[in-house]
Amino acid sequence: MEKHNDEHRPNVKLYIAVFAALLFFTGLTVAVSRLHLPRPQAIALGLTIAGIKAGLVAAVFMHLWGEKKLIPKILIGAAFFAVTLIVIDVLDGVWLTPQDTGRMAVADQHPDEGTAPTAKPTAAAPAAPAAPAAPEAK
Amino acid sequence: MNATAIENPDTHSGISNAKLGVWLFLASEVMLFATLFTTYIVLRLSATSWPWGWDALNVPLATLNTVILISSSVTIVMAYARAYDRDVRGFRLWMALTLALSFGFLIVKAFEYGHEFSMGIGPSTSVFYAVYFTMTGLHGIHIIGGIIVNSALLYMSFVKEDWENPLFLGRVEGAGLYWHFVDIVWIFLFPALYLL
Repeated sequence: MEKHNDEHRPNVKLYIAVFAALLFFTGLTVAVSRLHLPRPQAIALGLTIAGIKAGLVAAVFMHLWGEKKLIPKILIGAAFFAVTLIVIDVLDGVWLTPQDTGRMAVADQHPDEGTAPTAKPTAAAPAAPAAPAAPEAK
Repeated sequence: MNATAIENPDTHSGISNAKLGVWLFLASEVMLFATLFTTYIVLRLSATSWPWGWDALNVPLATLNTVILISSSVTIVMAYARAYDRDVRGFRLWMALTLALSFGFLIVKAFEYGHEFSMGIGPSTSVFYAVYFTMTGLHGIHIIGGIIVNSALLYMSFVKEDWENPLFLGRVEGAGLYWHFVDIVWIFLFPALYLL
């Protein structure tokens, strides 16, 4: 089996080191979630740890570190469109059209998922019938 | 396009067409999961309340699955290392281990789903569970896809012409890239659904 110049020479010691780091960060993210931090801080911390783990996998296991420049360019393009998609939809769905997807509108449509204000059914958003509460899975 | 055209690196980029194709496929997969994460963010920001994963889901089982998937990422890259060194026995061992871990992930997930269904919980239970079942279900389908490809590679390692084919190492690398991507998706799904 001949090899080609775009195939990466494996580095087993590095793979093992990254494996240990991934296990450590997995334990860390679970431990942090038990601290009951305020949600904004918890989300920021959780996503940061996830980003570090994903970066390690991409850089070492997927050999992005040292890969030809075209591949990162493709990924940057995909990441740009993904972020654009998320930003546009969040802006549109949460802030620009709150009458349809805002907290109060969702509370009207799904009274079983929180403290819902009593609202009369309208043609645009009829009140949904009360559904039984979801049992908790432990 | 003949095998030589697929196998040889492009003279401008230095990247084989096969590897470039896998990366372009993964770029499209990024967009697929981006749409789901967008849905998750919009629905979560709109919800009056959002359950904490520890109360609504089985976090210990999900943590176990995270460890399983991370381990399988290591085993498949070890399979690549063995294929790179032309060690067919080593390749079979590590790829078989990867497959065992993949099935382990699905079995744990099946236990988790089974427990939830037995409690009467399904996608229609709430917005949270609809998002949870959709995202983990699509991820599970990707796991099954990876199992099919990795099983094919394991089988091909027993066929002399396939093992000695110059394309084989690139195929292993392509399968590995896909598998690591599936791992990365879970790395974000795990905290988003279970921990935050």
